[in-house]
Amino acid sequence: MTQALDDLRVLDLSDSAAGAWCTRLLADFGADVITVEPRANGHALRALAPFDDAGRSIPALYMLANKRSIAIDLDEPRAGSLLSRLLRRTDVVVESFTPGRLAELGLGFDMLAQRRAGMILCSITPHGQTGKRAAVPGNDLTAFARSGWASINGRANREPLNGSAFQASYQAGIAAYGAVVAALLHRDTHDNEGQHIDVALDDVLASTCAPAIVRAQYTGEPLARREKSDITAGPVPVADGHFALTISRAHFWRDAMNLLGLEDLAEDERWAAGWFRQQHQDEYMPRVEEQMAGWKKMELFDELAVRRVVAGPVLEMSELRTNDHLAARGFWAAAENAPDGPAYAGAPARLSASPWQLARRMPRHGEHTFSVFREIGGITEDHLLGLFESGVIGTVE
Amino acid sequence: MSTDGAAVGAPRGPLAGIRGIVLTQAWAGSYATQLLGMLGADIVQLEVRKRLDSWRGSYDTPLIAALSSVPTATHAWNCNPLYNSVNLNKRNATLDLATPAGVDLFRRLLVHADVVAENFSPRVLGNLGIDYEAMRAVKPDVILCSLTAYGHDGPWANVPGIGGTIEPTSGQSALLGYRDGPPINSGQMYPDAVAGLTGFAAMVTALRHRQRTGEGQYIDLSMQEANLAVVGDAALEYELTGRQRARLGNRHLTFAPHGIYPCLAAGRDQRWIALAAESETQWAALCAAAAHPDWLADPRFADNAARKTNEDALDAALAAWTATEDRDALAARLGTAGMIAAPVLDTLEVASDAHFRARGVIVYVDHPEVGRRAQPGAPVHFSRTPAAVTRHAPVQGEHNLEVFSELLGMTPGEYEALAAEGVTGVGEP
Repeated sequence: MTQALDDLRVLDLSDSAAGAWCTRLLADFGADVITVEPRANGHALRALAPFDDAGRSIPALYMLANKRSIAIDLDEPRAGSLLSRLLRRTDVVVESFTPGRLAELGLGFDMLAQRRAGMILCSITPHGQTGKRAAVPGNDLTAFARSGWASINGRANREPLNGSAFQASYQAGIAAYGAVVAALLHRDTHDNEGQHIDVALDDVLASTCAPAIVRAQYTGEPLARREKSDITAGPVPVADGHFALTISRAHFWRDAMNLLGLEDLAEDERWAAGWFRQQHQDEYMPRVEEQMAGWKKMELFDELAVRRVVAGPVLEMSELRTNDHLAARGFWAAAENAPDGPAYAGAPARLSASPWQLARRMPRHGEHTFSVFREIGGITEDHLLGLFESGVIGTVE
Repeated sequence: MSTDGAAVGAPRGPLAGIRGIVLTQAWAGSYATQLLGMLGADIVQLEVRKRLDSWRGSYDTPLIAALSSVPTATHAWNCNPLYNSVNLNKRNATLDLATPAGVDLFRRLLVHADVVAENFSPRVLGNLGIDYEAMRAVKPDVILCSLTAYGHDGPWANVPGIGGTIEPTSGQSALLGYRDGPPINSGQMYPDAVAGLTGFAAMVTALRHRQRTGEGQYIDLSMQEANLAVVGDAALEYELTGRQRARLGNRHLTFAPHGIYPCLAAGRDQRWIALAAESETQWAALCAAAAHPDWLADPRFADNAARKTNEDALDAALAAWTATEDRDALAARLGTAGMIAAPVLDTLEVASDAHFRARGVIVYVDHPEVGRRAQPGAPVHFSRTPAAVTRHAPVQGEHNLEVFSELLGMTPGEYEALAAEGVTGVGEP
C-alpha cells in the first residue's frame, strides 16, 4: 500500500523531542527521514532517562524510530558541503537550533532554498523565530508555564503542575507535522513554492489552552486550579484504583445514578442540567463518591458501558498493553525490521488508504552514515573513509 | 470583522482552496477543523438546531454573568467561550439531519467537500444514512475523518467517552499528578487537545494522498489511541522494563533542578516561577543569579546526578530563594542570562503576554454578540502562506443562506420554506 509521504526525503537537524516527534510522524506516514546527529554525542534524546537494560534511552528508542541516522561534526568546515550533497535531494528540513544558529552554519532558509527548489524548512523552538523571547531557552515545563496550562493543572492548595513527560514537545511535534504537510500541499499546487515554517512550543500550547483562555476573557477571571479531586474533575478512589465519571449528557447522569443506587438523584429533573449540578456539587458529590468506592473499576466500567455512559477507569501501562480492545484493533506494533523487538504504541490515527507504518527500530548513532552519503550524496567509498578518518563523519568510538 | 495583529481578509494559507463540510462539535473535532480553517480552508460547520453543539451549552444554559452588561450578548449559546475558542475561521449553517430533506441537502453539499469530519458516536452516521460508503457514492474521492472515543471497531467501539474519561483510559491520568498524590485529570480535557491536533494532522495527510493519487479515504481516529501515542515513551518503558512510570509532579526524568517554585504574592494571588537547569553551565548561572555560591560548592549539588539524588533539599533551597523574588522580574533576569525560566501565567495573563501579541498568537477577534476579545489564533507561522484569523466563531446559523445559495444555488424563498419546516433556520426549535 502506498503512503502519503513516500515520495519525500526529510533531513532532521533537530536535537529536541518536538523535532524528533515531528519527523517521527513524517517517517510513519512514509517519508525517508534521515536524522543528522552530532558526531561526538549523538542526538540529545539519547542521553535522556529512563534507560533499558542495554543502557539505551527509552525516549530515544521511541522518538527516533523509523529513521536513518548519520553522524557528522557540524562545526567541521567540510560539513556544509557534505550536507549540501544531501540537501539537493531533500524536500523538507526540520531543525530546532536557537534562532540564528542555522544561518551561522550556512544552512539558513535562503541557503537551503538555493540547494533545492521548493525547499520547506520547519523550525521548532521554545518561543519561535521572532519576538523578544526568540533566543531565550525553554523546554516543556516553560511552555506549560507560559501557556496557562500549568496554572489550571493540579490543586488549588498546591503548586501549579506541569504536564507529564514531553507533552509540550509531542503537541508541538504534531502541529509542526501538520504544518509541513500543509506546506507540501501548497508547494505541489503552486509552482513548487517552498517556505519557512516557524513553530513554537509556547504558541502551540497557548492554542490548545484556548478554551480556558477565552473563558477568562469572557468572565474576567482566570480559571483556578480545582480545590480537590471529585467526580466533576477526574478520577476518584474506587475499590481497586481510581475512576473518572465526568458526566456531560443528561442521560449519562440518570443511568449512572440509577446504577449506583441513587434513584432520587437520577429521577429529579433538576439534576439533568450540567450547570445545575455544577452549582450544587456539595449536595450530591459525597453520596456519589461513597457509592463508587464500593465498585471495582473494570466492573463499573463494563456496567456503565452497557448503558452507554461515559466512564473512565484509570489504566496503567500493564493494563493497556493487555487490553482486549486495543489488541483487537491491532494497536501495538513492533518495528517491521525488528519483529522480535518490543511493541510500540501504534498509529495515532488509522488512515484506510495511506496508513501509518513503523518500518524501522531506532537507528544506532550514525548507523547509516556511509550508506546515506554513498547512495544519496553520491560520495565514493574512498572519500568517505577519508572523511571518517579525519573525524568529519561517523561515530566517535 | 477586524483583528489587531492578525491578517484580515481572504485566506492566503497553505490550504486555501480546500473545503471542509464538517459535523464536528465540542472540542477535539472542532479544534481539528479550526486548524484547517486557520490554514486557509473554507470550513462549513453543519449544526443541528434540535441538539446544539454541546460547547454552545443548551438553550437554557444561563449567559455568563460578566456578559450581562454587553447589550449585544443576547443568545447564551452564541456567547459560550468554549465554542468560540475552537470555531474560528468557520461558517455555520443549520441542517436537521434527522429529516429526509436535511439528508438530501447534506448529500448535495457533500459534492462540494474535500473533507468531511465528524465526532458522533460510531453508529450515528450509519443511522442517518450517510456513512462513509454512502458518502463515497455521492463523492467518490471524499475524505471522511471520524473522531470517536475508542475507534470504529473493537470491543469498545460503541462505548462513549469524552476527554474526562479518555484521560484515564489512555494512560494519561496515571502519569499526571503530584509525586505524593493520586492520578489526576488535567485542568481542562487535555485528550481533546491531543486528538484535535492529531485529527488535523491526519486530514492533511489524507489530502496529500488524494493530491497524489486522486483517492479519498476513511480516517478512524480513536481519542484513546491518539493519546496513548503521546505517552508512548512511558508505554515503551513498561514494555522494556516492566515498570509503570511514577508520577513526576514538576520534576524531570533526567534533569535537576526542574520545578515550579513560589514567588512573592501579588495581592492575594500567589505567584509561581518555573525553573530548570539542563546543563552544568545553566546550573552555575543559576547559582550566580541567586547569589548562592554555596550551592555551587555544595557536594549534594555537585553535578546533575547528585542534584537528582538530593532533589528534595535542592527544591527546598530554591523555593526559599524564589519566595522573596518578584516572579516577572526574576523570570526576565534568568531568561536573558540564558537560563530556563518562565513565569507561571494564569489564563487571563496569557492573553496579555507581549511576545504572544507580537507574534500574532494572541489576537483580538470581534464577535457580533460578545464584542472584541483577545484569544489564541493561528499556532503555526508560514513565511509564504500566512495562517491567520479571518472569521469570528460563527453564531448559530449565521451563514445558512450564504452557504446554501453559494453551493446549492438556493433562493431566499426556498430557504425560508425549509426554515419554516425546521430543516434549517435559527434559534430554539
